Amino acid sequence: MQETIDIARFARERQGAGTKKDAGGRDAPSGPPSSRSFWNLKVAVIVDRNDDGERLIRELQRLRCDVHHEWPMPSQIPAQYDVVFCVLSPDLPQRLPWIPGEPASALVVIDPGAGMLDLNLLHNCAAHGVLHYPVTPRSVQSTLALARGHFLYERRLRGRIEKLDESLRTMRSVERAKSLLMRLKNVSEEEAYNYLRRQAMERRVTIGAVASAIIDSYELLG
Amino acid sequence: MTRSSNTSEPWRVGVLFSRTGFMAVIEETQLRGTLTAIEEINAAGGVNGRPLEPVVYDPGSEASAFGRYAKKLMVEDGVSTIFGCYTSSSRKAVLPVVERLNGLLWYPTLYEGFEFSPNVIYTGATPNQNSVELCRILMERYGTRFYFIGADYIYPRESNRIMRELIRNSGGTVVGESYVRMGASREEFLPVMRDVKRAQPDVIFSTVVGDGTVYLYQAYADLGLDPKVMPIASLTTTEAEIRAMGYDVGEGHITAAPYFQGVGNERNSSFVRDYKKRYGDDESTNMCLEASYFQVNAFAKTLEQTNSMDTEILRASVMGSEFEAPQGDVAINPIWGHADLWTRIGRANRQGQFDLVYESPSCVLSDPYLLGYGRSLGQKNLELA
Repeated sequence: MQETIDIARFARERQGAGTKKDAGGRDAPSGPPSSRSFWNLKVAVIVDRNDDGERLIRELQRLRCDVHHEWPMPSQIPAQYDVVFCVLSPDLPQRLPWIPGEPASALVVIDPGAGMLDLNLLHNCAAHGVLHYPVTPRSVQSTLALARGHFLYERRLRGRIEKLDESLRTMRSVERAKSLLMRLKNVSEEEAYNYLRRQAMERRVTIGAVASAIIDSYELLG
Repeated sequence: MTRSSNTSEPWRVGVLFSRTGFMAVIEETQLRGTLTAIEEINAAGGVNGRPLEPVVYDPGSEASAFGRYAKKLMVEDGVSTIFGCYTSSSRKAVLPVVERLNGLLWYPTLYEGFEFSPNVIYTGATPNQNSVELCRILMERYGTRFYFIGADYIYPRESNRIMRELIRNSGGTVVGESYVRMGASREEFLPVMRDVKRAQPDVIFSTVVGDGTVYLYQAYADLGLDPKVMPIASLTTTEAEIRAMGYDVGEGHITAAPYFQGVGNERNSSFVRDYKKRYGDDESTNMCLEASYFQVNAFAKTLEQTNSMDTEILRASVMGSEFEAPQGDVAINPIWGHADLWTRIGRANRQGQFDLVYESPSCVLSDPYLLGYGRSLGQKNLELA
C-alpha cells in the first residue's frame, strides 16, 4: 500500500495543479487523478441514504469507484465486492457471509456515533477500517486506502502461508528423489538437482511433480 | 496472579464435537471426555471458586459447520477457549476463526502433523509419536508389502505420504492404495477389500475414520481374511470403533496410540473406574476421549494460575507445562504447542481391549514437522533402501 500511495503522490506532483478539477484554485487534499487505485473499485455501500450517507456515496463516486448502494441492511452482506462500507449494527458479524479470518472483501464499518462504542463488536466484525460520520473527502480516501491495503496484505500473507505449507511437503519428496537419482545415476547432489530442474522446465511442471513421478516410477520398477 | 475475589460468575468455554453424522461414534466419546472433566472440576469447586460453563454445539460431522459454530461461539457467546474437532478438515475450518479473533482451540486428536498455529494447543499424537514406531513393528512382525486404504480427505492423504516415505526408505513397498469418500456406505468397501485380497499385502494400513472404520473391518471379516497374517493397522481405530464393529471382528488388528484403556497405572485405573461408573460397565475409554479429558484438566490447571481467559496469557502459561494424564506424565511442548505423548502399539483382543505390543519408556517429544527424523526406520535397513 505504501508503494501505491507514493506512486499516487508522485503522479500528482508530476501532473501539477493545472490538471485539478477542483474549483476555486484550492489546494485540494487529492483528486481523482491521484487516486487511480480507486478507479472502478467495486464498492458496496450499506447505509441509510440520509445526508451523511449521500455524502459518502458522492465521495466514492467522485473517486471513480463503481458504487452499489443497498438499504435496508440485507440479512447477508453481499460478498462479490472489493470493498464493503456498512453501518455498524449489533448483529453485523452474523450478517457477514464469511467466517472471520477468511473475508471475501475489505470491510469498512461506519460508526453512527450514537451510544457507547462497542469495541468488542468491532473486534468481532474483524473489519479493516472504521469511518465516522460526518465523513470528509480526506477520511473516506484514507480509510478506503488503508482498508483495501490491509485486506490485500492479509490475503498475500495467507497465500504465503499456504505456499510455505505446500513447499514443506514438496521438499521432502524432492529430497527423496534427489537421493534416488544420486544412487541410481551415480551423480553428485548438484547434478541430481540440475536434472530435476531441467526435467521440470522441459515438461513445464513443478519440481515437486517431477520428484513424485521419479519416486513413483522407481517404486513401479521395483 | 490475584485470586478472583468476589465473583462467582462461570468461566465460559466452547465445545465442538459431532453428536450426529458419520463421525459421531468417536466424537461423542470426546464430548464425554470433555464434559466429564468439566463436571469433575466443578464438583471440586471450579477454578478459583468459579465453575466452568460449557457452551456446546453439534456440528453434525460437517467441516464447514465447525467454522460457523466457532464464529458463533466467539462472536455471539463471547467464548475465547474452544475444545473440539476430530477431523483435520474440521480443524482447518476453525483455524481462521481462532486466528483472526485470537481464540484458543484445544485439539484432542491425532493428526498428520505439518501444522503450527499460535491459536491451537494440539493434544493428540503426530506421526513421530505413532507412525514411525508402528511402521517399524509392522515390518518386523508381518512383512514389507503394504496396502493403503483411506478416507478421501486431508488426514489420510498426508498420513499415507509420510507412511509411504517410511516404508519405501526402509525397503518396503506399497502394493496398492484405495480411497473411499467420507461418509461412504458399507457397499463401497467391498470392491476395496476384493482388491486387497488380490494384491495380497502383508499389512493393510487404514486411515479410514468414522463409520467407515466399522464397514472396513467387517468387510475384511466377511471375506474370511486372517489378522494373524495380514492385520489392518491404524492410528485411529480405538476401543470405541472396535466396540461398534464387534469384538470378534476387531480381534487381532493393530493400532498405535498414546493411550489404551488397559494402560496400567493408578491414575488411569481411577479414570476408567469413574468413567464406567458414569456411563456404564460396557463403555470403554479410548485415546481421543483421554486426550479430551486431560486437555480440559491442563486448561483448568493453567487457568488457576492465570485467573484470566485472555488467549495470550493462557497460552504463555500453558507452554512447557507438565500434567499427569491417564496415559502417564505428559507436557505441552514449549516450541510447538503440541503435547509430548506416549507411544504405544496394541493388538485388539476378544474383549475389545488392546494388548500392548510396544510401549515407549517415557513420553516422546512432539516433532510435528519431523525435523529430527530421517526417512528410514533405522541404520540396519539403510542398505536395503
